[in-house]
Order: sequence, then C-alpha cells, then structure tokens
Amino acid sequence: MKRLIQLTVNGDNIEKLVDTRRSLLDLLRNDLGLMGAHRGCDTGDCGACTVHLNGRPVPSCLVLAATCDGADVITVEGIAHDGRLHPLQRALVEKGAIQCGFCTPGMLMSALALLQERPEPTEAEVRAALAGNLCRCTGYVKIVEAVLAAAGELR
Amino acid sequence: MSESGPRTIGQRVAKLDAPDKALGRAQYGHDVRLPGMLHGRILYSRFPHARLINLDVSRAKRLPGVRCVLTAAEPFLPRNGIRRAAPGGAAADNPPARFGFGKDNTPFKGDVVRSVRDEVAGVVAVDPDVAEEALGLIEVEYEPLPAVFTFDEAMAEGAPILHPERGSNLAKTYRYAHGDLALGESESEVVVAADYLLPYVAHGCMETSVVVAQFDGRGRLTLWSTTQIPFLLQRDLAEALGLDGSQIRILQTAIGGAFGRGLDIYPYEPIAALMARKAGAPVRLAFSRTEEFVAGPARQPVTVTVRAGARRDGRLTFRDVSAKLAIGAYISWGLVTPIVMMETTASLYEVPHVRFQADCAYSNTPITGAMRGYGNPQSTFFIETIMDRLAEAVGMDPVAFRLRNANRPNSVTPQGLVITSCGLKECLEAVGAAAEQFLPRNGIRRAAPGGAARQSSPPAPAAQPAPDARPTLRRGIGFAATLNVGGGARIYRSDGCGATVKIDDFGHVTLVTGSSEIGQGSETVLAQIVAETLGISVEAISVVNSDTDVKPWDVGVHASRTTFIAGNAARLAALDARAQIFETAAELLSADAGELIAVEGMVRVKDDHARAMRIEQVVRRRHLREGGQIVVGEGWYDPPTQLVDKETYKGNISAAYGFGAQMAEIELDVETGQVRVLRLACANDVGVAINPMAVEGQIEGGAQMGLGYALTEELIVEGGKVLNPDFLDYRMFTAADMPEIETILVETDDPNGPFGAKGVGEMGGTPTAAAVANAIFDAVGIRLTQLPMTPERVLAALDAKEAQESA
Amino acid sequence: MRPFDLHLPETLPEAVEWMTQLAPDGMAIAGGTDLLLKLRGGAISPKALVSLARLSELAELSFDAENGLRVGAGVTLSQLLRSPLIRQHYPVLCQAGSEMGSEQVRSIATVGGNLCNAAPSADLAPPLIALGSRAVIAGPSGERFLPLESFFEGPGKTALAPGELLKEVLIPPPCGRTIYLKHSSRTYMDIAVVGVAVQLAAANGGPQKVRIVLGAVAPTPIRALRAEAVLAEARLDAEGIEESARLAAQECAPIDDIRSSAWYRRRMVTVLVRRALSSMTDLASYPEAER
Repeated sequence: MKRLIQLTVNGDNIEKLVDTRRSLLDLLRNDLGLMGAHRGCDTGDCGACTVHLNGRPVPSCLVLAATCDGADVITVEGIAHDGRLHPLQRALVEKGAIQCGFCTPGMLMSALALLQERPEPTEAEVRAALAGNLCRCTGYVKIVEAVLAAAGELR
Repeated sequence: MSESGPRTIGQRVAKLDAPDKALGRAQYGHDVRLPGMLHGRILYSRFPHARLINLDVSRAKRLPGVRCVLTAAEPFLPRNGIRRAAPGGAAADNPPARFGFGKDNTPFKGDVVRSVRDEVAGVVAVDPDVAEEALGLIEVEYEPLPAVFTFDEAMAEGAPILHPERGSNLAKTYRYAHGDLALGESESEVVVAADYLLPYVAHGCMETSVVVAQFDGRGRLTLWSTTQIPFLLQRDLAEALGLDGSQIRILQTAIGGAFGRGLDIYPYEPIAALMARKAGAPVRLAFSRTEEFVAGPARQPVTVTVRAGARRDGRLTFRDVSAKLAIGAYISWGLVTPIVMMETTASLYEVPHVRFQADCAYSNTPITGAMRGYGNPQSTFFIETIMDRLAEAVGMDPVAFRLRNANRPNSVTPQGLVITSCGLKECLEAVGAAAEQFLPRNGIRRAAPGGAARQSSPPAPAAQPAPDARPTLRRGIGFAATLNVGGGARIYRSDGCGATVKIDDFGHVTLVTGSSEIGQGSETVLAQIVAETLGISVEAISVVNSDTDVKPWDVGVHASRTTFIAGNAARLAALDARAQIFETAAELLSADAGELIAVEGMVRVKDDHARAMRIEQVVRRRHLREGGQIVVGEGWYDPPTQLVDKETYKGNISAAYGFGAQMAEIELDVETGQVRVLRLACANDVGVAINPMAVEGQIEGGAQMGLGYALTEELIVEGGKVLNPDFLDYRMFTAADMPEIETILVETDDPNGPFGAKGVGEMGGTPTAAAVANAIFDAVGIRLTQLPMTPERVLAALDAKEAQESA
Repeated sequence: MRPFDLHLPETLPEAVEWMTQLAPDGMAIAGGTDLLLKLRGGAISPKALVSLARLSELAELSFDAENGLRVGAGVTLSQLLRSPLIRQHYPVLCQAGSEMGSEQVRSIATVGGNLCNAAPSADLAPPLIALGSRAVIAGPSGERFLPLESFFEGPGKTALAPGELLKEVLIPPPCGRTIYLKHSSRTYMDIAVVGVAVQLAAANGGPQKVRIVLGAVAPTPIRALRAEAVLAEARLDAEGIEESARLAAQECAPIDDIRSSAWYRRRMVTVLVRRALSSMTDLASYPEAER
C-alpha cells in the first residue's frame, strides 16, 4: 500500500508517495538522496541513522515514512549554515573526533539535540545522550571533548 | 629537512577528510549509486555441514523484479574470455576457481556446505527487498552431515573431514622453540600454569561490508570495495574469476571501519562480479547487520595451555605455550594468527627458553580472519596474566617484575626480531606512576599471596571506595604491557609501498600513495610527512589513494605499517620532488643545490634569505621553457626485513617494533560480579608522534575494543551458529560505559621510521584485557582465564574461591 | 516484509473500530521500536497496521492528589522522563525509563508499546505494578479496567482481546517509596537480565504494605507474594529483608538464554530485592550494620 506524505526536510517542502513499509531512513537516502544518515543496523541499536523528527532525535530506521505526514525532519545536511560548519561540526573536526566518520552524522544529531535542550551539559550528561550512538574508532574520548567544547562556544 | 620555520611533525593537524565527514558528504560503499544499478543478495546454508541434494531456483527467477539467479552451476570465466557452459551447467569442465588465503574457498558451494554462512545461491533484483523475497523462494534440499565445532571434535577419530582432498581436518601446525626448554625448567624457582579459553569476537565496524561491481564496455571489471588490500584483491579476484589482473580495477570508497575485516578475499566479492556479469548491469551487494555478524570473519578463538617459570631474583626462565585453534570451514587469516601469538610468546620481555606449539583445524564454524592485533590480543592476555602470576609467586611488585625483564633498545631477540627503538621501560614506568596513589609509602608494591596487594602497608585514601559507598565494592589495579610490529610485517614477498609526489604550477602538491585510508588518519599523517619534507603547509596537499589504476603498489593496510612504510615511501617521493626543485632553483638562484632549504613554501639559500623563490615559481620556470621538465617525485620503500623462516619461524619480520603498557583501575561488586573500569592509563612508544591527536585517537579507539574483549564482547557460537548477531546482544562499550582514559605518548625516535615514527594502530587494545584481569586479581584475589570476564563468570569464580577457602 | 495497509485514525473510537474490523490480521503500532523489528524479522506479518500516533486521547499525562496519575499509552518514554509531574510524584518511573534503550529510541517508544509488547523483561512493568497501577483498556464494548499485573499473560501475550487497545495506565496517589533496580551488562541500551521493583508504604499505624515485583525471571512480570508476606508481619530489619530476598529468589522461574543463566538471575533476584528493601529502610546495604 502507498500513502502520500508531505513533510519538510531541512526546510524544504517534500511530497512523496511512499510504500507503507518504507522507513524514514530509506526515504532520506534513496528517495531524497540525502546520504548523511547512515544505515548501521536497521534495528535501532547503533544510532548511525539518527535524525531530528519534530525536534527529537530518532532512529530513522525504525520510523515508518508513511507516519511522517506533516513532520519536520532535520538531517546532518541541514545543520551547517551558509556553507560554514556548525560549531559542533567544527569542534569534531578540530578535536580529532572523526576517524572513519560513519557514526559522525548520527553523533552530531544526538549531540545537537542535547545542546538544544541542555546548553551546559555535564560530561555524564553528554555520555548518556550519546549512549545510543556506537563508535568503533574513537573510544568516544574526543567526541565527548568536542561536544563539551562546542557547548562552551555556543553559549 | 627544514631548518627553520614551523614544524608540521608533532602538530595536532585535523584530518583532511574530517570536514566532509562532518558534513555527511563522504561517499561510503553504501552510498555508491550507479545508473541501472541492481541489488544482489546471498542465500546462505541452513546447516553447518550438509550435502546439497537439490537446488530449485525456478520460483525465484519468476518473481517480478528479479533479473537473474546464480548458483555454483554458474560457468566461470575462463581465461580466453569465451564462456563454455558444460552439459547440465555442472562445474566439471569449469571447476570453480578456488581462492582465499588457503585456496580452498569458492564463490558458491555446489555439492557440500561446510558452515551456516556458506553461500548457496545469489539473486540479483531491482531492489534489495525483492532480492530478499526471492531468496525465500529458493528451495534447497540438504542432507545434513555430522559437524564438528571445536578443535578436539575436528581431530577426533572418525570426525567428518571438511575438505576430503586434504586428508584430515588438520590445517596447519606451528612448532617454534628457542633456547632449551628443559634447561629453563630446571633453572626455575617458581613455575605457574593456566589454561585459557578465548572467544570469537566481531569487528563491529559501523559500516557493514559492501561491494559494487560493474563491467565496462571493454569487459574490464571495476569494484567499489571496502577492502584493505586493493592490489592483492585485484590479484585474487583475477584468479577467482579467471580474468587477467589487468582487467580489474579496485576503487576504495570511504570506509566505515575495517580493523582487519578487509584483509582477505571473501566469497561475496567474486559473487558480486559474477552477478554483474550475468545481469549485464552494475550490482551492489551490501550486507545487513545480521549478515555482517553471521557471514563476516571473526577474531580467532583459541584454547591455550601456558606454563612459565622464573627465578626468585625476578628473571624469567621459560615459557611453554600450546594452542589449539578451530579456524572455520575455509582458511583465512585466522590460520596465521599463531605467527603473532608466537612472536608475543617468544619476544614480549626477555625470555631465554621458549616453546610454542599451535595446531589449527578446520571446523564447521565461522571463518576466522584478521582482527586488530591479529593474535596479539589473545597472546598478550595469556602472557601478561601469566606474568602477573609469576610476579606474585616470586613476591615482586608487578611493575618491578616487568621492568626486570623488559626488552631493551638495540637488541635482537632469540626469535631474531631486531629491536631498534624501544620504550617499554618508559611505558611501564609511566603507567606505574599513573597508579602512584596506590603505592605504599616505601615505594614498592608487593603483591601478597592471595592478591590483596594493599595489605602490606596502609593504602592511600584514594585507593578505596568512599566510606559511604556500597560495601560490596572492591577496587584494584592491574598492569599489562604489549609488543607489536610497528614497521610492517613481512608476510608476502614484498612489504613495500610506492608513492609519487607531483607539484603543480600553483604550488599545489598531490601525493599519490599506494596505501589506503581506512579512517585511521593515514592520509593526513602522510600529508604531514610530505609537508615537512617540502617545507609547505598541509593545506597545500591533496592525497590520492583510492584507485588501483592510478596509485602505485602497496601490500595493504595491516600490521600497523602505514605510517612507517607508506610514510617512508612518501618521504622518499617528496625528497625526489624536492631534489628536482632544488636542481632548477640552484640554477635560478646561482647557488649549489646543497646550499638550499625548503621552508614556508619557498626555496631559500641557507644564510642568505634574500635569495629565494616560491616553489611554484620554480616549478613553472622548470617546465615552461624549451627542454623543460615537470616536477614529479617517486618513492618506493620496502623495509629491510625478512620473511620468517618456514621451519624455524625465526627472522626479523618488521623494521620496527612498538611497545606499550596499560594500567587499569577497576571497581568490582562482589555480590553481582560486575566490573567497572574506572580509569585506564595507556602509555605507548610510537617512535615519534607525527600527529599526536591521531595517535591518541588510535589508542583510545583500541582501548574501547580492548575493554569489550575484556568484559562484554563475545560472539556466541553454538552448533556453528552465531546466536547474537545484533548490537543488542553483541555488546560493545558505549560512551556511557567508557572509563576515564589517560594516554601517555613515549617518543623514542626510531632510526628507520619517517621522522622517527613507528606504527601504533593495534596496540591500544592488546594489553587491556590482561590489565583488567590483573586488576580483578588485585581487588578480590581471583584469576580469570576465560574472556569476556562477564559478571556471571566473575561471580562463579568468587563462589569457587569462597568454597575452596571454607573447605 | 509482506506489504501491509496502514491506517492513521484521528480518534480512539475510530482506532478501535479499525482494530475490530481488521482482527485478527491487524496490529496497533505506536513508536514501532519493537514492532518493526518483529515485522522485519518475519516473526509477524499482519495485513494492516493501525497507527496510534494521532490519538490525542492516548497522550494524557495528568495528576491530581486524590486520584493519582493518568499516563496515556501514547506518552513517549522521553516525555515521561521530562515530565515534572512524574519527576516529583513518581520518580521511580524516571529511574526505570532512563535506563531503557537510548535517547533516540525513547523519543519514539511509548509506555503503551513497552507494556503491550509484553516482554518478560519490560522495564516499565515492574515499577508500574509495584505502584499498584491499573490498565484502562478501550474496546468495541467500551472501557474496562484491569490490575496491571493481570495484563500480562505470557511472553508477548497480553489480556487484550481482538479489537482492544491499551488506552492508559492509572497509578494511585504516591504512597511510601518505590524503587526499581535493573541488572544488565552495560549502563544503557541493554535488555534487563533481572529487574526488581519494590514499593514500601507504612499504612497508618498498621503493618507496612509492600509490593515486590520481579521482571525477566518468569514468563511475565510477577509479584513475589511469599517474599511480600514475610515483611507484612515482621519488622523490616536485616533478618526480615534477608528472608524476603531468599523467598523472592525461590518464587521466580528464570531461564538460561544468551543474556544470562538461570542460576545467576536467581542470585541477582536475591541481591536486588535485598538492596531495594535495604535502601528504602535506611539500613546500610551491608547487612551487619547496626541500626
């Protein structure tokens, strides 16, 4: 079965006819060509597909696109402004928090959601907010440093 | 060498690819989209060992959206390019080409399946869901056969033989010795022994394996791949497909993690090529996460018996190790891990008498491959926990005992390893200092029998949990060191890497390197080396490294070799380019080439800065004239090492060796068995840290793997099946589980490394499990010899200890 | 995955009508974090899904001192954790919710979803049962009420009849102290190996009320009735607590699975029940401490 949905993605109005089985992740990657959200597991366990849905970080692999009519979606492609890196992105780059980079977009979206809600997080709060984003390269050390540094800058 | 001006070596330079990755713009294998691209999926065996009686793909073929279905009956591509379909499509005239490290694997299996990840058929369809559905329509009739899951089962009398043409399931034996074991035993005043059981572990790369295959109009095959060995893959694929190597091109996309996963050729790769050929269109074959766990290679599990001795003065006397390995249904790199286990056994610390034996058997279980450390996480665990037992037996502080036997710079081990730079002593001292708060006042930590190390003198206040903390908590600290190759490992005839450096009219430099970037930051480090040599900034450099048609040969990314070997190649190429620049500049500046230096993007006469030109000016003047020449430097570096002797396994396998040590501080709950690592101090001798930020990242990431190996990660394999093929039950440390990590870089300036650097990629996670195990002993006096040290296993050991004490 | 129809009703009666019409081939979906996994894995293949996302009737989150708390089945775990009402009056639910899944999963997973998925290890079930909650079920013949512990009938099985939906959970006014202890391998993300919820309330002058609820050690969350009985009469001292913990371990029926063994789970029941009770009686966890 197909359903027609209308949603905004990174500020753009999108209208699509989608199979009811399609995930939001597949909509983003395969229908809209937004490859930043990555498929790591398809079971909501790794966080690589994290995007913002109506202001909340969600595992887009577990969201049915057909339930997104009227939704507002932000992906990693939507957080840089005027071609300049968002302070969080810049912090990850400068602090050496990116190695293979596969977890990076998901980390960014989770971190951004945290900072939007809690501009002055403690280290424990950062770690808890990122607990759903697996990384196999960095040991998370520099990611946490970068998020705390960016929090300082954004204030 | 630049004599003035800012150094790039030692700078915390941000990775060249980081901004694109932060923007979500990097192209990974999963992101490759080609016009007309189709999707392939593989049907795997349902049994760990069975005869394939019948395979009916007719219903699958008829499903709308399916382009084609492939099985072992698929004729292979013979060398002359003409397809010869044997009668009945059987493989008789075109026997499937065997590939893999042991040349015993085929893309599809036609008569016998030997594991539950054996590939039985493949479907190509317009999208992955249709392909998946078609798999469900393939009917396979199996005749299950008895299966073997452990070394002992495989070698038992009457065991089913997996590869009958080999006669037995014994795949390989290793026998190594140096010194005289009997003499070592007789000289020992203490002897300890233990048996170990080490598990299957998964790489856990965040990106699953993926390949896209396409034949072009001339019949050339291009593969977008997550491989770590592009040139070897080119060769192996050629063999597997019956093509000429010149007809194959490997493109490497950004990779979402590797850690050894991409070090061999696996069936899905030639399968993708066969699919592309039959479908007449590009085919993408991407593993689901389940497939990644079930069909990907795993870290080699091993059962080991270790005996070791020492004298009461603290000097080691002997080590006797015997290991049994079940290597899976087809040989991959797991079979060779004993080479590294042997190296650790023979060469970590100075041990005069060593015997090492390993036997490897085929089994109907997951293929074992190479995984970060590659035999070293396993061997460092058993060697370093045995060391701890010896320290206890002779009554010496664990750090002091290790220092007593530490390897020294400029020495040759009995195995023939030529150790040049060696910072083991400094690493041990550094982690010893990190644990200082636990040192009793007289400066010597003496491990009392039973392991309650702090009872010999009052502990410093910080050593115990706070008074109002749960009284069931105990704290402990543990140490372990590691030795790893740091300058490549000669396992092929060549351990070399090629590079070229081009300088253009605008002063932009392109480094083309045979090595591969797998996320570890090698591109950036190589750019720093070139920048330093040419006296320019990293911003002026691009690195090209992802196309076998373009880049010079390199054996691959493994054995922590890239900084050292590719670094030296890049440096040589940059020196060559610089020599060409100096040749022209000497002319233009009326100086001798020997008087020139390259710094801050300029060529200058030493001691006369007025005579200078920008590098790009020199380049333009060099070629924009009659009889001119462009500037392209070339470098090839193959380290001065040897293939180990096939009989004795002796020889110098690497041009440099890295060393490290770790200290783990843990808190253990005696009622639940839960272990929390509070702090991990990691000291590593990296020669010179060309990019300290990248080195720290490698150590910190390695530590995450080491912690998982120690406490939570295990691929549970029963009856040949992986029971936990997902991230819910294959538990990797999250950001919330990680301890505080302190990294200490020790710089010993290696004489052969580029600017003194050595490799570090594997050492972050090799000593961790032993450090944690030794800390558990310190806390509660139990020694665990099975990994991971789950709460259940810890509690069972505590119960056993209590039962023993009350008996 | 087989194709399925998707319906997005705007009101609860509409949803109930769809569920009734579609029964037994329809399933309700809220956050989908459990359901989609089952769908993709092939464990279920309903012909249609009825999304509850638009039902404002399920989003209720209100409190009054007399009646207690109403939590709609559609309230997400994220909303639960951030609710000042819940933080103030039922902090045990924040405690339980904060250890479930990840921030991302909690953004879409719902209270109703966790309960209706009916995993034996469901983290919200033990604390809600310990709080004395009731389930409000909406169906074709109207609403009915059920003590929450009767809502669970087996692994993956609830008391919902065809056409019925869980509408909300009613929690009595706060009473005494309630605590939930979860035992798992990692800090977050894990399914509970054992979950223990305890409520301790001193009824006016009379013997104390205690509820001890165990999760992940039986086909459903269960009350450890014999363990509770010990404490109802006895003083809440170290001996009583020890006896209670011992009985609770006997009352459960844990299994061996890839996450843990039966013996270890049983052992953790003892440990967690003891710790839960001790922490609420201001006894130090160390049993020999004098009070």
